[in-house]
Order: sequence, then C-alpha cells, then structure tokens
Amino acid sequence: MQPHIVIDSFIYNMLKFIHIFLGGIILSDFKVSPVMYGIAFAMIAFIVAQSLFFIVKSWKHGKKIGIKKETLVSTVTSSILFSLAPAISILATVIVLANALGIVLPWIRLTVVGNLAYETVAAETALGNLGGSLSKEITDPSQFSTVAWAMTLGSIFPLTFLPLVCKKLQKKIGGAVSKNEKTAQLGDILSAAAFIGIISAFIARAIAGTSKTDPSTNAGVMSVCVLVVSIVAMLVLTAVSRKFKWTAFEPFTTPVSMFIGMGSAILMNIYLPDISSIVWR
Amino acid sequence: MNSKYFDKVHTWGAVWNYAALAVMFVMPLGISIAFNAWPSLSVIGKVLLTLVPLYWVTAIIEVVTYVPMLGAGGTYLSFVTGNISNLKLPCGLNAMENAKVRANTEEGEVITTIAIAVSSLTTTVIIAVGVLAFAPILPRITAEGSVFKAAFNNVLPALFGALGAGYFVKHWRLAFAPVIVGVIVLVFAPETGVGILMFITIVASLVGAALIYKNLLSDALRSAKSGGHQPEKKE
Repeated sequence: MQPHIVIDSFIYNMLKFIHIFLGGIILSDFKVSPVMYGIAFAMIAFIVAQSLFFIVKSWKHGKKIGIKKETLVSTVTSSILFSLAPAISILATVIVLANALGIVLPWIRLTVVGNLAYETVAAETALGNLGGSLSKEITDPSQFSTVAWAMTLGSIFPLTFLPLVCKKLQKKIGGAVSKNEKTAQLGDILSAAAFIGIISAFIARAIAGTSKTDPSTNAGVMSVCVLVVSIVAMLVLTAVSRKFKWTAFEPFTTPVSMFIGMGSAILMNIYLPDISSIVWR
Repeated sequence: MNSKYFDKVHTWGAVWNYAALAVMFVMPLGISIAFNAWPSLSVIGKVLLTLVPLYWVTAIIEVVTYVPMLGAGGTYLSFVTGNISNLKLPCGLNAMENAKVRANTEEGEVITTIAIAVSSLTTTVIIAVGVLAFAPILPRITAEGSVFKAAFNNVLPALFGALGAGYFVKHWRLAFAPVIVGVIVLVFAPETGVGILMFITIVASLVGAALIYKNLLSDALRSAKSGGHQPEKKE
C-alpha cells in the first residue's frame, strides 16, 4: 500500500471516529452519548484511585519490612511491560464488541470486573435471547439496557463472595505454611506445584486447544511453536543475563520472551504459511 | 506472618470490594435512567439461568485458587479489575519470581499487590487511550489478514510459555502430571472452561508433588501432629 493511501485512510478513519463521537452528542446515538462517556470516566477514576491506594500502602509496608527500593521499582517497570501485550488483546476485544454495543459499554465492562471470555459470552447470550447477535448493531435502548444489566448481574457474585472467605482462606494457608521448618519447606514445594498447575492449564490449551474455529483458542503447529519459542527465549535470555550479570535486565526477560514468542507467530505466518496453518483443534 | 498488616489489607480490600460492587451498578442504572430504558426481566432471567451455573461455580473455584497464589491485596484488586487468568495472575506470578519472594509471606503480599495494581493501571490507560485515539486503526492491526493478527491470536501460549520456563527448569519433575492431565481433559472435553481446567491441573500438580515428595510430606505431617513448633525462618 502506498504511504499516501495509508495516511488518507488514517485521516478518513479519524474523521469517521470524530463523527461517531460527535454523533453521540449531536445526534444522540445513545451508545456513545456523553452519559456513557461520563460513566466510563467515573469507572476509570475508581479503578485508578483503588490501584493507587494499594500501591501507596504496599510500597510503604514494603520499605518498612526491608524490601529494597530497586526491587519495588523493578516490580513496577516489569509489570508495566508485562501488561502491554495482554492489554492490547483486551483492547481488541473492546473493538470487536463495539460492532454491536458501541465502543463505551465494552470499554467500561473490560475496565471493571470484565474478562475476555465472560463479556463475549454474556453479551451474545443476552443478544441471542433478544433475537440479535454480536454481529448486528443494537439500535433499541431497552435492548441495550437489558444487555448491560445481564452482563453486570452475571458477574457480581465473586465481589460479594470474596470478602467473606478471603481472610479465612489466607489465614489457614499462611498458618499451615509458617508452622515450622518442615511445613515451610513443604509449603514452598506445594506453592510451586500450584503455580505449575496454573501454568499447565494454559500449556495444555496451547497443545490440545478448545475450539478449531477460533484462531485464538485453537491448537496446532503455530500455538505449539509459539509456546516452544517463548520457553527457549526465556531460558536463553535468563542464562545470558545471569552470565553477563545484567541484573537490571532480569525482570524484563519474561515480557521480552513473550514478545519474541509473538514475533515468531508473525514470521511463521509470513514465511511458512502452509505449515503454520496446520491445526488439530 | 504479621497478622496486623494482613488484617488491615483484608479490611481495605473488603471496603474497596463492596464500593466496586456499588460502582458497577452505576452503568446499568445510569443507562436505564438516562435513556428511560428498563430491561426485560424475562430476558434477564433467561440469561442469568445460562450464566449463573457456569460463572458463579467457576467464581468459587477461582477464589479458592487465586487467594493462596496472589495474596489478599492482589486477589481483591484482581477481582475488581477482572482479566485475572490472562493478565493479573501471570503478572503477579512473574513479579514474585523476579523479586524472589514466595506467596503467603508479607514480602509476597507486597510484591503481588504492587504488580497487580500497576497492571490494572497500565491496562486501564491502554484501553482508554486505545478507545479514544486508536479505535479507528486498531481493527486494522487485529483484523483478519493483518500481519499482527497471528501474534495477537497467540498471546496466551507466548505469555505462559515465557512464564512457565523458569518454573519448569527449577521443578521439572512437577510439570509432567498437570500438563498431561490438562491435555487429556481437553482431548475428551474441549469445552472445559479455563477456571475448571486450572482447578483440575492444580489438583493434578499437588497430587504429583505429594507423591514425589512423599517423605517430606510425611515428615511435615508427623512434625505438625507432634506440635513440634520450630522457630520460623524469618520474621
């Protein structure tokens, strides 16, 4: 594509977006109206306030119990880098859901409580009961309201349930782990085993897949190769950073390996399209 | 374990948690009031009949699974901001690994809380900026046929491959049982949700660990039964 065509297309899309945004104000498209943007900004303010509150409290306590400032700073920087690619995937889901629901409702839902799988299933179930689907734009405010209520009510349970059990669960586990030397050692191993159990669920999904029709959940040459490339990249980067004592780089080995894995998917798609498209589920 | 600090975290977490619950209802209530559009109760009932058995059961399993891994602050934050299994959980695990701290310690609590709070802020900012500035071009990046599409389809294998590498090298004997069990479950029941699958692989991994370290397990059980409290490693 010629550069000027790309720029023209970008300007065209920006104008289209401004038109849609203003349309919400001028033409009262309820899905992108100022009310919706107001709710979105209120939600964002809440999430930012909550996150900052916990960062400040944890930071102060971390310093009090002797965690080095460099460790805290590297936790922040590596977490930012680690979150970039998944956040862009979440943004992509917002855009996909925007076809039917407008851009603001999925934005709100995926900022608070939402998750990729739940929001899509909840919206599709609600729309299916209303005789619509995610591929068709909602034009009736009462349908829009029904979808919003269904998505919210379906996801409130963990928030009501968590405060009732969280303290008891943590006390039991923490108490068992810190009882004595042997149980502490066993606790470390069981904790590592639980971590490995979590990771294994996703490794199994990359190997066995869950749906042949959805490229983000199927399994085949591509998903297994990406898995292997990211594992190898992580091992190599860790070994290299330890050998050359690049301690400042160590926290970034995981996100960088993840990007290398994702990059290998792009390269395979371009240079080995026939092999990389083999899917067994 | 400093129980005073943990008690405070639980109090803060519960307050923010219930506040979030109230804030969540601002969206549907705001829509209903602003557009005078109230939902169809029969449709809501039908949708909840589909969603509740699946997601509420999964939620119980997720709470039981995540609290021991992410600690109190991390879990409260994760459940409010969502996207746990694909973002908050790996981010918390990665931060603990980098800081060389373990779950269920004060150090682990501090590190996972900071990591998950930072991850929430990053995601919120990226989604907000993306919606406001890049909404017109993002569909091109993630559209079928885009060169980046393959990369975004494979975020999870890349993420968990990178995250798993360190654990698998350190505890390679523990990795076989959960991966094999996970694959077998998906071969016979491909529609198994990730929450349920995770629960199964964790149980498989713990059973595998108990068999591999059976001597340590019996020593620890004997020592716990005899009430032989030894001085704690650190505090």
